Amino acid sequence: MTDILAVRDVRKTFGVVRAVDGVSFTVRRGTITGLLGRNGAGKTTTIRMITGIFMPDSGSIEWHGGTDGRPFGDRIGYLPEERGLYKQMRVGELLLFLAEIKGCRPADVRGKVDGWLERFELTDKRNAKVEELSKGNQQKVQLIGTLLHDPDLIILDEPQSGLDPVNAVLVRNLLQDLRHEGKTILLSTHMMAEAEKMADELMLIHRGKVVLEGTLDEVRASFGKNTLHLEFDGDGAFLETLPQVRRASIVNNAAELSLAEGADPQDILREAMNRVRIRRFELAAPSLEQIFIEKVGEETLLHEEVAR
Amino acid sequence: MKKMLAVLKREYLQTVRRKMFMIMTLLMPLLMAGAIFIPTLMIERGMGLKRIAVIDGSGQLRDAFFEPETKNEEADIELGAKRRDLPQQIATEYVPAANAKLDDTAKPYLERLKLDKGANKVDGVFLIPTDALTSPKAQLRYFSRSATDFVTQGRLSSRVNRAVQQYRLAKRGITANEADELLKDLDVESVQLSKTGEQKKGGAANFLVGFVLTALLIIPSFVYGLEIMRGIIQEKNDRVVEVLVSSMSPSELLVGKILGVAAVGLTQITVWFVMSTALGTYAGAMAAFGGMNVMQLLRPSTFIYFFIFFLLAYLTYVCVYAIGGAVCNSDREAQQLIAPITMLMMLPWFLMAGILTNPDSGLSVAFSLSPVFGPLTMYVRTLVAEPPMWHIAVSIAVSILTIAAFFWVTAKIFRVGILSYGKRPTIPELWRWLKVA
Repeated sequence: MTDILAVRDVRKTFGVVRAVDGVSFTVRRGTITGLLGRNGAGKTTTIRMITGIFMPDSGSIEWHGGTDGRPFGDRIGYLPEERGLYKQMRVGELLLFLAEIKGCRPADVRGKVDGWLERFELTDKRNAKVEELSKGNQQKVQLIGTLLHDPDLIILDEPQSGLDPVNAVLVRNLLQDLRHEGKTILLSTHMMAEAEKMADELMLIHRGKVVLEGTLDEVRASFGKNTLHLEFDGDGAFLETLPQVRRASIVNNAAELSLAEGADPQDILREAMNRVRIRRFELAAPSLEQIFIEKVGEETLLHEEVAR
Repeated sequence: MKKMLAVLKREYLQTVRRKMFMIMTLLMPLLMAGAIFIPTLMIERGMGLKRIAVIDGSGQLRDAFFEPETKNEEADIELGAKRRDLPQQIATEYVPAANAKLDDTAKPYLERLKLDKGANKVDGVFLIPTDALTSPKAQLRYFSRSATDFVTQGRLSSRVNRAVQQYRLAKRGITANEADELLKDLDVESVQLSKTGEQKKGGAANFLVGFVLTALLIIPSFVYGLEIMRGIIQEKNDRVVEVLVSSMSPSELLVGKILGVAAVGLTQITVWFVMSTALGTYAGAMAAFGGMNVMQLLRPSTFIYFFIFFLLAYLTYVCVYAIGGAVCNSDREAQQLIAPITMLMMLPWFLMAGILTNPDSGLSVAFSLSPVFGPLTMYVRTLVAEPPMWHIAVSIAVSILTIAAFFWVTAKIFRVGILSYGKRPTIPELWRWLKVA
């Protein structure tokens, strides 16, 4: 697979804040690449540089997607983090306008608008004003506007925000379909579970720098199978206090335990069996969330302590 | 270009469909018509009735306040004598006081002046001293509740003075008829002479029409300038701007918006001209009734210049408003920033009376050739005078250069400002934006 986009050592400073500090990565054609990071890590600024909203202070952004006569900007579909819709306009007109500013002729996309509205169950909202729509429906309209002009690269900044679980699944399936159609998707999110389900490749940005990148498997493998996934009945609070456990995240009746160096999982199992009823016991790679906290959290905690 | 047209089209359609456009389009001509017709109506119908008590110490000036046909009536006190030539009707209550002390006679009337309402209320008390006919130093006095009732005062005093003059002439053996003839004022007919020798009636009507046309020229610029500013701020707040700027250059976006709203303005004035043409016949008839021919002022050149200077004024102001929109984050913030600038840009409007009466004065010429103020002032000059062609050419050229410069600055500030969501930039920051962008 070939790269469609290469970001090379881009930097962007706002006043004294280094929003993006030497970020490099490539996006491979036909994949979903997840751009991960906390709020304010530099994800949105990076995306704005790719979409040409900001010029990078230094570094370059190269398009390798070949050419079909359309300018680069028209081959990108961009869904901004916050809704970017004219609230006073009617849904149908707005979608035509969004396609028009991407260089499409209104006559050519009219049929597509109908198709998309149907797919998103919005056909009856065609003549409604955007401001009359629910937040979730506005998000769906925005997503249609991102896809109408048949972009090669689809850049989505937090596409799941404001969606209920049903619509979230709808969007997730849509993204999978698009990938199968050969589209490339760059997906920015701070929801690790989402990224884990969707992304082929990951990029973790922290404080304006890429701190981790690779395929999901690569990333996980690099952390080894040193994590215990437990499900149990009873009070699992004690798990955190075990000497073999380096860090624990316990939610209700499930726990994800990072093991200390040289720790034997069997010891933990034995200890746990004495206290709670075990329903699941698995030694596996850490979840993306754990990796994220491992990579970012400790450093952040450290920083905050130094600051204190 | 295609994208710019898409923005233009959206901007145009969205604005034209708004209620505000309908209201502006229908209401403005009504307001303007009101501005023409209400003064005419006031002259026609008067501003209401004023009751004035005239205390005549000389006892001989009754005729000055009543028409000859009311002379034979018995009563000395006469209410409701109407004067069609006065801006308001004056009902005069005439009190001869030749044999009494003037102040004593006046006292009850001055008391009645203090009343707030009722049949006894008077609006003014006019005192004519005993020696009014004999002493050139005699002083007339007018008491009223309002300090600004100089119109009534002027009317009353001119009546008395005319009578006093007639009395003095009569003393020298000149009869009343002869005196009327001697004292007759001559009418002035005001004529505007063009360079080609064409003669036209001028005067007050031209002044009024000048005001109205200038208002029509300038008001849309400010109204739609504000529209653009608010539109940009809303796009920023709704984050639409991110989608727009990732699809086209900020200059394309800016040009599309400005031309879209310009098209709205042109649509509006076209509607107005159609309406005014329909109304023109009626307006012409009305004005002709008052002895003035408004239509002679509305030459073809009036309309051509109107379109030229409308566009120049419009584009100048709109650029300024677009900058306001780009650097501010809320309507309120923008209003505060733009209010003093608007006042400055409207300077020619505040000086309009001076420019209309002295269209070729140094100040008028300077304003008409300067940037920003040029279009409005020059239009007024073409309307009421005949400025040299080179003045018009220079004014247009200066305006075009100004617009080009403003546009350049606006595009640069727009580029940076449209995506800055933080606090409003300071002047040094703006300067940096200009250099960096």
